[in-house]
Amino acid sequence: MTKATNLRLDYDVTILPPKSFFQPQNETLLSFQRGKGYRSVIETEPFLLLGVHPYDMVAITQMDEIFSQGNGDVHYVSRRQNATIVVVDVENVSPDVFAGHMGTYKVEEGWDVLLTKVADQYLVESKTERGAALMSSLADVPDADQGWLEMRQLVWERNKGRLRRHELEAEPSTWPDLLEEAYDHPIWEEKAKLCFSCGSCNLVCPTCYCFDVRDEVHWDLVSGERFRVWDGCMLVNFAKVSGNLNFRKDEAARYRHRYYRKGKYVPSKIGGQIACVGCGRCITACVAKIANPVEVFNRLAGGR
Amino acid sequence: MSKPKVAIFDFACCEGCQLQIVNMEEDLLELISVVDPVEWREAMSDHRDGYDIAIVEGSITRHEDEERLQEIRSHAGMLIALGSCATTGGVNKLKNKFDLNDVKRCVYCDSAHLPHLNTALTKALDEVVKVDYKVHGCPINNKEFAYILRCILMGKKPFIPNYPVCVECKMKGNPCRYEYGEICLGPIIRAGCDAKCPSGGFWCYGCRGYVDNPNVNAAKEIMAQYHKTIDNLRGRMFLFGSKQEQTL
Amino acid sequence: MDSTSTGWNDIYLPEMATLLRSEPMTADERFFECKLDSGKELGHMPGQFVEVSVLGIGEAPFSISSSPTQTGSFQMVVRNVGNVTHAMHGLKSGDKIGIRGPFGTHFPVEDEMRGKDIVFICGGLGRVPVRSAINYVLDNRDDYGEVTILYGTKSPAERLFLDEVEAIVSKENVKYLETVDRGDEEWTGNVGVITTLMTDMMVDPRKTVAVICGPPVMFKFAIMSLYKMGMVDKNIFVSLERHMKCGVGKCGHCQIDGLYVCQDGPVFRFADIAEVQEAIQ
Repeated sequence: MTKATNLRLDYDVTILPPKSFFQPQNETLLSFQRGKGYRSVIETEPFLLLGVHPYDMVAITQMDEIFSQGNGDVHYVSRRQNATIVVVDVENVSPDVFAGHMGTYKVEEGWDVLLTKVADQYLVESKTERGAALMSSLADVPDADQGWLEMRQLVWERNKGRLRRHELEAEPSTWPDLLEEAYDHPIWEEKAKLCFSCGSCNLVCPTCYCFDVRDEVHWDLVSGERFRVWDGCMLVNFAKVSGNLNFRKDEAARYRHRYYRKGKYVPSKIGGQIACVGCGRCITACVAKIANPVEVFNRLAGGR
Repeated sequence: MSKPKVAIFDFACCEGCQLQIVNMEEDLLELISVVDPVEWREAMSDHRDGYDIAIVEGSITRHEDEERLQEIRSHAGMLIALGSCATTGGVNKLKNKFDLNDVKRCVYCDSAHLPHLNTALTKALDEVVKVDYKVHGCPINNKEFAYILRCILMGKKPFIPNYPVCVECKMKGNPCRYEYGEICLGPIIRAGCDAKCPSGGFWCYGCRGYVDNPNVNAAKEIMAQYHKTIDNLRGRMFLFGSKQEQTL
Repeated sequence: MDSTSTGWNDIYLPEMATLLRSEPMTADERFFECKLDSGKELGHMPGQFVEVSVLGIGEAPFSISSSPTQTGSFQMVVRNVGNVTHAMHGLKSGDKIGIRGPFGTHFPVEDEMRGKDIVFICGGLGRVPVRSAINYVLDNRDDYGEVTILYGTKSPAERLFLDEVEAIVSKENVKYLETVDRGDEEWTGNVGVITTLMTDMMVDPRKTVAVICGPPVMFKFAIMSLYKMGMVDKNIFVSLERHMKCGVGKCGHCQIDGLYVCQDGPVFRFADIAEVQEAIQ
């Protein structure tokens, strides 16, 4: 980008979430060479992520927890530590968003700077030292008074109401309990009949982080890299082990697994937060139109 | 370690996949640092007998070609099918949809009776001989070819995706071709091409062949959602998907 | 520029180890003994696994087959089924491999199993991780009660560690019973699935702990047989197999329900997973 006027902070949603800045699609973890063994490869430099929507910021904070808890992942965390994040509150509503139902239409944490378009101006708030450093470069900008802050509150209230392109009847907090009873629900089979196992819902999801690890050698055949690539639990070989044994060989089992991850398994690892932020990308991305979490959880809440 | 001897052969095809090997440019020098090409009509003027690895391009369309392929196989420790014509029969399989005599007359007119033009139903290589590895695509992705070859030299089974093109297309950040009102075969076709066509603004024609268990039924079912008919889908599958197991 | 300051170790970085032994066991299985180049002990407990890297090929998880009571090296048994295992079968003593781990939970040899009678039930390659616990128990014989080892394979030729049977049965109060799915001309032993060894078995359920590892289909039937002997879920321990790619609870491949087999397993108390969908099939 060469001109500030080319900046479109009013975008509705990005096709891919910002996760690739912390967990690249194809990320070298190690290099290796015969006789020398393996060496960690951590290549990252400070960067600014500008214009992240609140629901994506919530997803990033969830990934922060996943990758730093227990055995911390130095590759992810190094990238994350190098990031300065500027969140912008949503201006235009994307076709399938339901963040208004998920409590992710605004975000309190994780960012360095928050931009909110109020009237025709941006209200800027910094939360961290990095954010303050960024703001200090703004010359002659007046401080926001109480009136501006109240107007920002109205923007949030309005976003809460309008980021609801799908009407969720099942409160997110009820999802784990709904799933507790839903393992044999007919919806999994019904929906999965049309599933291509193409992983589109995984790939565009800001809270999907599963990965595959592979080695490739250079032409010398004695040196090369170990890298990880995005994987997805909807892909047919995801739960396959050696000897052709596949622990989730049916589409329905994989389809169900994905919703259990979003509504039950991952939440149990991150303090109960639902691992769906309502961005609606899966709904848009699914060719067969079977990947709507709102539809699934409404059905589960409505019984059979 | 002595370099394995490699021979490259072609049958009914446009030889574009071999051209992709030539197009490896600097990597071609790397390639010949690890293998010893002994026969390669498209790129070499001389040839030597004996080879460990046969790389075979093209599909089998004549009886005498079957015999030639069997002969090649009997000399090769390993056989690699190169490109769609070899891996699935490719575009050449189109003719299997029609009456063979009509096809001959249509293509060769008055010469159709000449013995060397006596064409048979098209076969992929693995319908005739055992194929060890397949390099998919029309044309092949030469980076994938190089990767597969390095794996073979390492004694390792290469990772060939068994997931649809959508995976790579999504990673590219492309909007779905269906959103443009097009029928794209991406959801049922094997990835590995880096979603070149959809990234270039075109639907997937299916040149790499189907994933192992394509949900063809779903492909049919979703036609109505996009205001298309199953005939529309059939038309799209015609070029590369003719007379294959999963064909409509 | 790298301006990170985590100070963390890279959980994906293997350390190098040298093969001390690499020997064929059966047509498909090979035995490996190795030693970390750092000179340190692996520091594992019976039932844990390591991720093994072969240079340029990849990485795969393997159970540790030796007991930590055997110091200075550790052992694995590898069936030739995939890229890494195939490459390992080509390695000889002196060759290098990469090691990460040990990872996962272990059999409670120092806790619930102490002072108890123990029934080890292993099918096929399930013998590999269970051997670690068997050896641990036999090396500390006085700390445990009666020991029964049930071992089933598809055929007599697939049985592992036959050379250790004599030493096992020479210990006091140790029973070792074998069965095969299909015998051969020389086989005079029991033929049938592993539960056929359990039909007349008697245990004192109050002071017995059972350990099970084998192919997925085996668990359900073995557990049913244990129920018939009066055993309850909390005294049954199972070791599950999944695709444990990263070993550190990140990559998602080994997940069943909310559990990561690589971290919460591979050894589970059956009571903890009896209700977990997908765990036992």
